[in-house]
Amino acid sequence: MKSPIAAALRALAVTLALLAAGQASAHEGHDHGAPPPPVSKTIAPRGEAVSEAFELVAVPRDGTLQLYLDRFRTGEPVTGATVEVDTPDGPKTAQATAERSYALPAPWLSKPGHYDLLVTVTAGDVVDVMPVSLDLPAPAAAAAIPAPVGAVQTVSDSVRAAVPEITHGLRERLAKQDPVLLTVAAGSFLLGILLMLVARGRRRVPVIAVLAITATVLLSATAFAHGDEDHGSEKPIQGAALIERAPGGAAPTDLAQRLADGTVFVPKPTQRLLELRTAMTEAGTFSRTIGLPGRVIPNPNASGVVQSSVGGRLSPPTSGLFPRLGTPVKKGDVLAYVTPPVARVDVSDMRQRQGELDQQIAIVQRRVERFSKLATSGAVAQVQLDEAQDELKGLRDRRTALDRIRSEPEPLIAPVDGVVAEASATAGQMANAGQMIFQIVDPKNLWVEALSFDALTAGQHATARLPDGRTFELTYQGSGLADRNQAIPVQFAIEGDASGLRVGQFLTVLAITDGQLSGLALPRAAVVRTSNGQDVVYEHTTAERYEARQVRIEPLDGNRVLIGGGIGPGKRVVVQGAELLDQVR
Amino acid sequence: MIPFRAALFSSLVLLAAPVCAHETAGKYGGRVSDAGPYHVELVTKGQTVDVYLLDGSEKPVPAAGFKATAILVVDGKPARVALAPADANRLTGQAQVPLNAAPKGAVQLTAPDGATASGKFN
Repeated sequence: MKSPIAAALRALAVTLALLAAGQASAHEGHDHGAPPPPVSKTIAPRGEAVSEAFELVAVPRDGTLQLYLDRFRTGEPVTGATVEVDTPDGPKTAQATAERSYALPAPWLSKPGHYDLLVTVTAGDVVDVMPVSLDLPAPAAAAAIPAPVGAVQTVSDSVRAAVPEITHGLRERLAKQDPVLLTVAAGSFLLGILLMLVARGRRRVPVIAVLAITATVLLSATAFAHGDEDHGSEKPIQGAALIERAPGGAAPTDLAQRLADGTVFVPKPTQRLLELRTAMTEAGTFSRTIGLPGRVIPNPNASGVVQSSVGGRLSPPTSGLFPRLGTPVKKGDVLAYVTPPVARVDVSDMRQRQGELDQQIAIVQRRVERFSKLATSGAVAQVQLDEAQDELKGLRDRRTALDRIRSEPEPLIAPVDGVVAEASATAGQMANAGQMIFQIVDPKNLWVEALSFDALTAGQHATARLPDGRTFELTYQGSGLADRNQAIPVQFAIEGDASGLRVGQFLTVLAITDGQLSGLALPRAAVVRTSNGQDVVYEHTTAERYEARQVRIEPLDGNRVLIGGGIGPGKRVVVQGAELLDQVR
Repeated sequence: MIPFRAALFSSLVLLAAPVCAHETAGKYGGRVSDAGPYHVELVTKGQTVDVYLLDGSEKPVPAAGFKATAILVVDGKPARVALAPADANRLTGQAQVPLNAAPKGAVQLTAPDGATASGKFN
């Protein structure tokens, strides 16, 4: 009975038994809403319960009952709760563990069978009583529990493998004129005739005929199996393979895996590791947003440039250092000095003027001295003395002004508070008149300029999204009437903390238009693009299962997308860790 | 034939499940919920907790030999009530604190053969 046919028959028999047993146990207990049985060999038996507030998974392992308690809506582990379990040994309190779960020593779980546990959870002011069912298979059948799916597959595999095996063997034997084959065929034929003859004698044709045919077929099948072929290599496809045990008889380890029906099984410890979180989908009406290309600009009222009004040589301020990039400056600070150069022709002109003034001063000085002597005797009128003194004073002032103009440089002063965003000053450099030496920007006061093809109206809400995913709230400031690149420049102020932004940085502005959209809003991180390019979200169907749902998405704003179809409201959708979930194979 | 029958059976059970999984009003003035192969009706009045035992088609099941525990949430605290068979299909017990009309909680049944089943009331 080692032939492929026999193997297939045995496999079939085992499958039927398994199927029947599986259905029977599913029915036993008439357990409405019971969690589906584990469908993989590597998943330990477990029980689940849900309530409005909590989701509970109980996994017996090594004589301990591990209880994983999460919030139903968010999937966040509940820590610090009191978990009391009604065991066959009476009520017991489970102890919190380091893995954000609860453990209860459960020696009574050593016996296989069906257990119904009542778990009373007190977390803060929420109290819930949750019944959990556990079905522990007998150790021998433990590996067989896995499942009808696997069994059927194995059977079809073995049948598929067996059929060509038989036909191939037969063809080969016929070709070789195998004596065993010939003998068996002849023997069967003779036996058939003999039986027919006997049957005719007794006039019970149909029954005996069927018997004869069956015997013939069976005998020939046996004959094939006893040929000289080595069947040792076919062991994996034999019926016994169906009840393969976990290696070393160890308890099955829970592994996150994608099941045959496309759902993703993620055991609770892995969910905690991946920090999976869900959110309930809610239908709502949202305003449509449009995405505009934008650029960070300094706030025109909180930024400034420092330009030299005259051409001249730059020199550092009194501190001796030019402000560098990023240096914070205050309004009124001197950032640099410009010393205008004096042209050669001007120098000679000034020298001449200086000489003239010096000469006049000397003459008037002498006249004043003379007049002051004579004025006492009355020879010169007091008026003449006063006039001479005024003339001297005026000449001296002109001389001083000439000196000052030659030596005094022009200070370059910061027009606003902020930091130096651009600096092009080096000592000794000659600056042209009107050249920008410094640009000062207030980094906390930045604007965004976007190009829009629609005229946006004031009071519209907008957000800006950076390529790295950060978003900022924007306030409409105004839009231009003159087209630029066939679009209207629109300016927004960035609300709140704008740190980390650079002037000139590109970003996407999402501005709300008047159009309304209805659907489900989900965080952008909830949507995963699969390898075939479709967008999916993962729905948390049962405590440890996630199902990928194909969805149609539309942009909503910087953080969220609108689900146009593919999933309804009131579903739990993974909003954190969806990419990690998508990696599970 | 076995797989067909089994498949038929399981599909019937699956079809039936959503229909009777919900809590309904019972004929003793309480709420009925599923507990394994049984339906249980929970009636609370003052400190008395009565549980009526019914089968899948709402027929009374003799309560003799059964044991039950009810855990009911009263004012944010769980109250445990042990229930003993009284008459016909009724199990009864006394709570330590007065109960409101429709407390949230669960009832765990232990059949004479040791099999357990539990029903949840929201």
